[in-house]
Amino acid sequence: MKRFFAAFALLLLIAPARAQDPADIAGDLPAAVVEEQITVSSDYRGSYITVFGVNPDRRGRGDIVVVVRGPNESTVVMRKRNVYGLWINGDPVRFAEAPSFFAVLSNRPLRQIASPESIWRYQLDPAASAQLASAVPGGGDPSAYRRALVRLRHAEGLYQWYIGQPTQERRGGLTMYQGGLFRAVVRLPANAPIAQYHADTYLFRDGRLISSQRIPVTISRVGIERRIHDLATTQSFLYGVVTVLLALFSGWVAALLFRRT
Amino acid sequence: MIYLPIAEMPVNVALVLLVSGAVGFVSGLVGVGGGFIMTPSLIFLGVPAPVAVATGASHVAATCFSGIMTQTRRKAVDWRMGILLSIGGIVGSASGVALFERLLRLGQLDLIISLLYLLLLAGVGWLMAAESYAVWRGRTLRGVSILRRPARTVAHTLPLRMPFPRSGLYISVIPPLTLGFAIGALAAIMGVGGGFILIPAMIYLLRMPTNVVIGTSLFQVLIVASLVVILQSTATQTVDLVLAALLMTGGVIGAQFGARIGAGLKNEHIRGLLGLILLAASVKFLFDIVIPPDEPYVLGGGLW
Repeated sequence: MKRFFAAFALLLLIAPARAQDPADIAGDLPAAVVEEQITVSSDYRGSYITVFGVNPDRRGRGDIVVVVRGPNESTVVMRKRNVYGLWINGDPVRFAEAPSFFAVLSNRPLRQIASPESIWRYQLDPAASAQLASAVPGGGDPSAYRRALVRLRHAEGLYQWYIGQPTQERRGGLTMYQGGLFRAVVRLPANAPIAQYHADTYLFRDGRLISSQRIPVTISRVGIERRIHDLATTQSFLYGVVTVLLALFSGWVAALLFRRT
Repeated sequence: MIYLPIAEMPVNVALVLLVSGAVGFVSGLVGVGGGFIMTPSLIFLGVPAPVAVATGASHVAATCFSGIMTQTRRKAVDWRMGILLSIGGIVGSASGVALFERLLRLGQLDLIISLLYLLLLAGVGWLMAAESYAVWRGRTLRGVSILRRPARTVAHTLPLRMPFPRSGLYISVIPPLTLGFAIGALAAIMGVGGGFILIPAMIYLLRMPTNVVIGTSLFQVLIVASLVVILQSTATQTVDLVLAALLMTGGVIGAQFGARIGAGLKNEHIRGLLGLILLAASVKFLFDIVIPPDEPYVLGGGLW
């Protein structure tokens, strides 16, 4: 336990008591999402989450940060070790909580908008939301594991960060309009977990949080996708039997169709 | 494109049908089950290895059932031997699924699957290539010739002997049970049928006559593969029904065409070609675990 706390404090430099959910969402920033419900059917190939909002400051002062978060999950990161010429997975480190999806958008680089303390406190960075749960084996560097988690998830498209407007190559980004209106677009890849998400919007001025809002976004299976998944998880034995019967049936049909005369 | 509900990824329907059809074609051409080609093909397509293994077993069950229907018509199944092998296979696949689940939780499953496939593909590929090269050179490889069955094996000396009338044997029940166990465990961990190991073992170890070997091995593989599908569905929930349906469709059709065309071709050419393909695939698996990784860290465990 001591090692864990030492590693944790070393990593964070500051160690505030953090709740599971990002703290202090006031709910006083006018914002909405285009689709509160995203459905996954058999033609699902990923989607986009679009958040609209208005900067309540009349003169348009301040910076906007939008974070789309998936549910936190326990995750293991391992490091490859060379054993007799083979690279095997070893030295596992468990994160008790790590966001399964995390996209952060801001009108200019986050470090210019908020202090490092605020970034940790409001969990504006995927690494800030990941909590180590086990000691790092063999005196390894805990922050290397944290960086690896972010890097691997980024490569899978599950952790994203956008500064400023969308470009021609990517649709994701934060666009500021006249009158304080802003629009944030996040690409939701097909491998993003199917779960309850949250779109959180923050207004910062001079490095301080002025107002914020949280909007739930639900991603759920519909139709045949839902029925198959429900059967596989709740009636898994029956699901297995159905799969076997399907296999026997297709084998039987093939044997009949191609029977040699 | 269709979204797979368990693998949680979209796949190209035409591509999966094409690949499974091609695998089925090759398996029909050579006369093998095709599980040991199907599962690595799925892994190459980007399907997570646990899903590829568990779902591959359903394709094996389909091909076996298709084949066994022809064989029972020819009365080429030694039921007593088949049931003994299946009992071993049931225990073996249950242990295999338990091990699979354990490895999945430890985050080592992908590595073990790669390693086993590396050994399997290299071994089978080498044997096939060497055998057909020898035939091509006009020699029969000693020990591979079916005519040279050893007179007595360990199966005849162990206790608990019983008669197997259809095979004309009086042997111990221990070797069939052990063999069934090994094949069952292999089927659960690798998503293969195991016919390519079972058939030589039945000929050389149990001394079964070749006319009942194919039918009986199909029976055992069918039982084991079906059980693996049910056990994997219950224990690890890695069987993808949509992917399974695509594989079966492509696989059984491909196998039937392959069997027809294979009847008119020289066997050693086909086997030699397949052997080379398998060797090439094993090199890919080898590179994955021997070359120093660019990214030393991997995500694992919590995903499944």
